[in-house]
Amino acid sequence: MANPDLLESPETDLAEALDLPWLVVVHNDPVNLMSYVSMVFRRIFGWTRERAEQHMMEVHVKGRSVVWSGGREQAELYVQQLHTYLLLATLEKSS
Amino acid sequence: MIFETNDHGNPVFTGIHPLLVELLRAVALDPWERCPEGSERLLPSPGEDEDLRLDWEDHVQSELRRHFDSERAVVAGDLERMTTPVALNEKGGEEDGASLEIPLAHADAWLTTLNALRLALVGEHGFTEADLSHESLPDLSDARGIALMQVNFYAFIQECLVRCLDGEGGEGGA
Repeated sequence: MANPDLLESPETDLAEALDLPWLVVVHNDPVNLMSYVSMVFRRIFGWTRERAEQHMMEVHVKGRSVVWSGGREQAELYVQQLHTYLLLATLEKSS
Repeated sequence: MIFETNDHGNPVFTGIHPLLVELLRAVALDPWERCPEGSERLLPSPGEDEDLRLDWEDHVQSELRRHFDSERAVVAGDLERMTTPVALNEKGGEEDGASLEIPLAHADAWLTTLNALRLALVGEHGFTEADLSHESLPDLSDARGIALMQVNFYAFIQECLVRCLDGEGGEGGA
């Protein structure tokens, strides 16, 4: 017997079956200062100044940067932390 | 206005013009009351997943809102200790401006609160990146110009605080 849930959301189930990671994405906004964004990255992810500034510049120039990938629970925690610092961050399933 | 760090490593702003004193006092106001439309940006959606979005609204956003209120209360306390000139100088005029010391331990609360208000003001007035990078003094004859001045002034305070937290200390003026 077919599972109706599988039929209703085949893409989600396929992604889960493939165990694709979740991505934490930070998006550009015109308000947050570059120095502030870099500081937040260093605090949350424990990065060096150089790595934090690379991601900050990627956000600024390209409009977004994937700052972490992995399990959903940890990804949600990171997004929550980024929202605490008022950065525009989202959670996306890797494709 | 002069920015420097004192012997305790705390950021100190001195010679604050009365107009800037008023802008500083405005930091303690609730952004949700000041800029109800702009404040939507303060609690962004975590993504397109509908279940996650609902879960976020129920649990995370209320916690974030409490966090922002708590940080704003810390800022309000510091603002109450801001000293405003009451004495006359040798020439019979007022002493030069107010002064504000921000305990370094409160710097995060200030950064959050200033950021929240800047985001809310930008959302409310629809400022673009070009508006924000314009270096000339905005037209202060209307609310939009005053809001742009606020956004830029608060950015200056934020830059000073980030420098202090980075251990760079330093001094500057606005």
